[in-house]
Amino acid sequence: MNPDFLAWIILFLPLVAAGLITLYFLPQRKVSAGLSTGAVIIGFVLSVIFVSWAGWQPAIRESAATWLAVGPLHVAFGLRFDPLSLLMILVVTGVASAIHVYSWGYMHEDPGFSRFFACLSLFTFSMLGIVLANNFIELFIFWELVGVSSYLLISFWHERPSAADAGKKAFLANRLGDFGFLLGILIVWSSLGSLNFGVLQDRLSAHAGALGSLATIAGLLIFCGAMGKSAQFPLHVWLPDAMEGPTPVSALIHAATMVAAGVYMLCRVSFLLDASALEVIGWVGGFTALLSAVIAVQQDDIKRILAYSTLSQLGYMMMAVGLGGDSQAMFHLSTHAFFKALLFLGSGSVILALHHEQNIWKMGGLRRQMPVTFWTFLAATFALSGVPPFSGFYSKDSIFAQATARHSYGLLVLGLAVAVLTAFYMFRLVFVVFLGSSRSPACDHAQESPPVVLWPLRLLAVFSIIGGYIGIEQVYEKQFGAAGAGHPLWQQLLAPFREAPIGAVLGILAAVLGFAGAYKLYSNVAKDPLPDKLGALSRAMANRFYFDELYQATVIRLHDALASIADWIDRWIIDGFCVGLARGGTDLTGRALRLLQTGNLQTYAFLFALGAALVLYLVLGK
Amino acid sequence: MSLVTSIFLIPLLAAIVLAFVPRNYRVVMRGVAVFATFLSALLAVILFLEFGHAVAGPTGFKFEFQRQWVQALGISFHVGVDGINVGLVLMGAIVAFAAACCSWEIQEREKEFYILLLVMVGGILAAFASLDLFMFYFFHELALVPTFIMIGVWGRGERKNYATFQITLYLSLGALIALAGLIALYLESGANTFDIPALIAYARNHPFSSDAQHFIFPLLLFGFGILVSLWPFHTWAPPGYGSAPSPTAMLHAGVLKKFGLYGLIRFVLPLLPDAARSWMTVLAWLCLGNLLYCGWVAMRQKDFNWMVGYSSVAHMGFAFLGIASLNLIGVTGAVLVMIAHGFLAALTFGLSGYIYHETGTLEMEQLGGLLRKLPFIGAALTMAAFAGCGLPGFANFAGEITVLFGAWHAFAHHQAVVIIAVWAALIVGAVYMLRGVRRVLHGPVTEKWADVADASNPWRKVPFVVLLACLLIFGFFPRLLTDKISASLTAQLGPNFQTWALRSDKPEGHPESQIANRKSQINRSSWITPEPRSASHSTLQ
Repeated sequence: MNPDFLAWIILFLPLVAAGLITLYFLPQRKVSAGLSTGAVIIGFVLSVIFVSWAGWQPAIRESAATWLAVGPLHVAFGLRFDPLSLLMILVVTGVASAIHVYSWGYMHEDPGFSRFFACLSLFTFSMLGIVLANNFIELFIFWELVGVSSYLLISFWHERPSAADAGKKAFLANRLGDFGFLLGILIVWSSLGSLNFGVLQDRLSAHAGALGSLATIAGLLIFCGAMGKSAQFPLHVWLPDAMEGPTPVSALIHAATMVAAGVYMLCRVSFLLDASALEVIGWVGGFTALLSAVIAVQQDDIKRILAYSTLSQLGYMMMAVGLGGDSQAMFHLSTHAFFKALLFLGSGSVILALHHEQNIWKMGGLRRQMPVTFWTFLAATFALSGVPPFSGFYSKDSIFAQATARHSYGLLVLGLAVAVLTAFYMFRLVFVVFLGSSRSPACDHAQESPPVVLWPLRLLAVFSIIGGYIGIEQVYEKQFGAAGAGHPLWQQLLAPFREAPIGAVLGILAAVLGFAGAYKLYSNVAKDPLPDKLGALSRAMANRFYFDELYQATVIRLHDALASIADWIDRWIIDGFCVGLARGGTDLTGRALRLLQTGNLQTYAFLFALGAALVLYLVLGK
Repeated sequence: MSLVTSIFLIPLLAAIVLAFVPRNYRVVMRGVAVFATFLSALLAVILFLEFGHAVAGPTGFKFEFQRQWVQALGISFHVGVDGINVGLVLMGAIVAFAAACCSWEIQEREKEFYILLLVMVGGILAAFASLDLFMFYFFHELALVPTFIMIGVWGRGERKNYATFQITLYLSLGALIALAGLIALYLESGANTFDIPALIAYARNHPFSSDAQHFIFPLLLFGFGILVSLWPFHTWAPPGYGSAPSPTAMLHAGVLKKFGLYGLIRFVLPLLPDAARSWMTVLAWLCLGNLLYCGWVAMRQKDFNWMVGYSSVAHMGFAFLGIASLNLIGVTGAVLVMIAHGFLAALTFGLSGYIYHETGTLEMEQLGGLLRKLPFIGAALTMAAFAGCGLPGFANFAGEITVLFGAWHAFAHHQAVVIIAVWAALIVGAVYMLRGVRRVLHGPVTEKWADVADASNPWRKVPFVVLLACLLIFGFFPRLLTDKISASLTAQLGPNFQTWALRSDKPEGHPESQIANRKSQINRSSWITPEPRSASHSTLQ
């Protein structure tokens, strides 16, 4: 028996759950939540069984059925099994399981409880589809489905205008990226004649120049799709707004999985990207990382700080892809999934305790009331800032090592600067929220969250701590060649210092520097000291460098202007003038003809006689 | 009576039966209409399921039925289905059933309304099943005239009269031009028959002269084009649908409008291949008028039904683009778009009719916050909006993506056309659809909708559930349609695809584009063979 049927079950279980909840179980809250959570946990267990049964590189690499076949257009619906997809489904189902459980606690009071779980399941299905897809169109299908589930979840509280607008904005920004993505797919299909990743890779390795002059363009167009989904500059504006959604959504979609899909997709098709495309990708990633780290420093909303930090970390991953380090990008993606999900869930725990207060300057001293939340949040902060032996240190260091190996010192400096800023804004957050003294009465009465919220935190904290040396990177290296031999645990603990000591030391220095800055400025302060020191720059940072306003003034205004011009033409030229002319002409002819129909018998008799005379003349006269 | 005949005869007979039902037996009238359309929908489903097993006649049609009528002119009653119209008949019959279910909103002169509705249904289905030009046109007119009366009598809004006036004049004009083209086709062919398969078979050996082709083609293209709201002849559609009672809008936008596209694919492309080729670039640019320009106009609409009307005009652009690609992928995609859009248009107009009935307005400024009050209708409308902006999972996506692939291949030298079409499909469509959802459904719940009630009665839900199910089934399994469509298209148009593809490759100056040209030539010459890709690739190497 082949293990591939397991993968089909893993993929379709969440869809079945979503369908059943929508059709039958909307009023039964517990059944809905149970179905949805059960589907993803079973999916996780089955993924573990699959991997232990078939290994990371199964004998059967694909399992496919034809979805659409018209002439030369052949679109399969298939699953691809390789280290990349298998480890990723473990990460997705694992993190998603934790977040599903957490949602029982977090969303307990909400009237849309069942709907929430239906959407979560739909999202899980789409994300697993992206991971397992074996061809471009299937990937695009799930790509769009992820977009729509994100829309549904961001605008989950649709009565709130801000949430409804944020959902719309997210979907449209994603669509902008997809515009390029689809064109890239069309180019690849028409030049290489296939959509299947495996076939494409074989053809390209057989004929390196098969894409010809279109190689760079195709690569960049596909990158457009990743820019939309992974919120890279200049399509990054939707992600911070997406924090309007419930916090578990922010953790699952806008931190751990969906936004990582762009990076995953680029790693999946990295064989298509040529050197110039990679160069662009690397610098876009580096720039996004820096820009959003700078913005994060002056945000006051706890979830927005984390959102910008997500952007910044995604920038790192893109940078790694651009540096040709696919396994490093995926490594950072995986560790980031753990600690960023943990950060969001921790912030959700705080928000819940403070009755939906999100401004960090109204928090403070929560360490005492919420010890579990504090310690797990701290672990994730260490991981994100790159402190050894937490997981983020290893994955971030592997990216620095890659930059050093590629002699791309510009990106290395950029990455280190971002590392300083990361440690700075994260410890700012920790100092203001958990340490110091309380800034509002709500903080004094805050209570630790229920166990259903805390257990997922503890679980994710474990992986945030140990994720760096349990062999994640080695699995990815199997996919992208250059597989190193497995090392014992203690060797992996020290691997960065042995293999790339400069990057490791600089990384630690950067974290220490950021921590020191945050400690100096933010330990025991009542309000943010930076705005006074930075002045206008701080305002620009707080206002996110006015990107939203810029888009409002250019892209949106332009489209609206075009739309109103088209509307005007339609109303006045085509409908008014042309149709009016046709109607007026007919009308005029009618009126002219009416003049002849006077009803006067003598006139008729006269005209009749005249006509008869004319006919007679013509017939006889000549 | 053959299966195909009974599908459209049942509604027509039911219309006659209704004429004898007393005016105050409302339940009976409604029951008869719903039952008749249900029966024909059921038969259409059976037809669709049996299609694969049925034996094809000598001309490639299944379930054929032919009786001579006026032998001197070569007119016969000839019906039958192949892969191209079997899906359309299925879609038409299901939409008809949904429209009959949605007719509860008609409260006055119900008897006349149901009779007209059933005549319209019978006419449309018969037009799609007809294989005789005369019957094809006759049945279309039979369906078209009730549309005007229904909008005029049962329409809504202040601009009702103007809209009726405009749609009547416009569509009559389009039908008239098409009629002139059809007569010219009959006279020029020399086959002395109105029978479509016979005409096509005759034209294989005696093709139309080039002059005749170039004279007839524009008549048919623009005649049919007006009926399908081809830009810039589209301005009848939004006011017409904005004023029409929802069952009429569902049937017209969903089914009747596809008549012109069907005519183009069914006999214009096979009979006039050379003219088709020379007009295709023009058509491709015109359909951008539909896709992009009408999409922009849709963004500006304040009335929900006008917005949906413009979006339905915009969607027709995909069907035209598919036809303009003149290759198997594109034309298959066009048929798929026609079917998918039929379900979608019916769904959207049905839902907007429900909302209008409950709130008394479709002005988006005044609506808002309805999702909380209307969970079922709102969820269905959200799904319809997503289907409308081409979300995978719904049939529209399969159709649109197929069209785009076909067009990308066909317009190797006019790729701007496809790029703009992709922009319109992904961005513009999403902008107005999401704005519509945002303004109508999302936002704070207001006091004024306290009396608004959701569709709690299962009967009210049935039409929407059926239409959504169809969109999802064909979205998940597009092969149910595409396998049938592409097989029949290959049989009918196969030779033409090849000539079109080969002739349209003209080498250009740049060395790059010459390489591209050669590549695409290799690919295109292999359009029809079942597994050309590997073959073409090996030639490439």
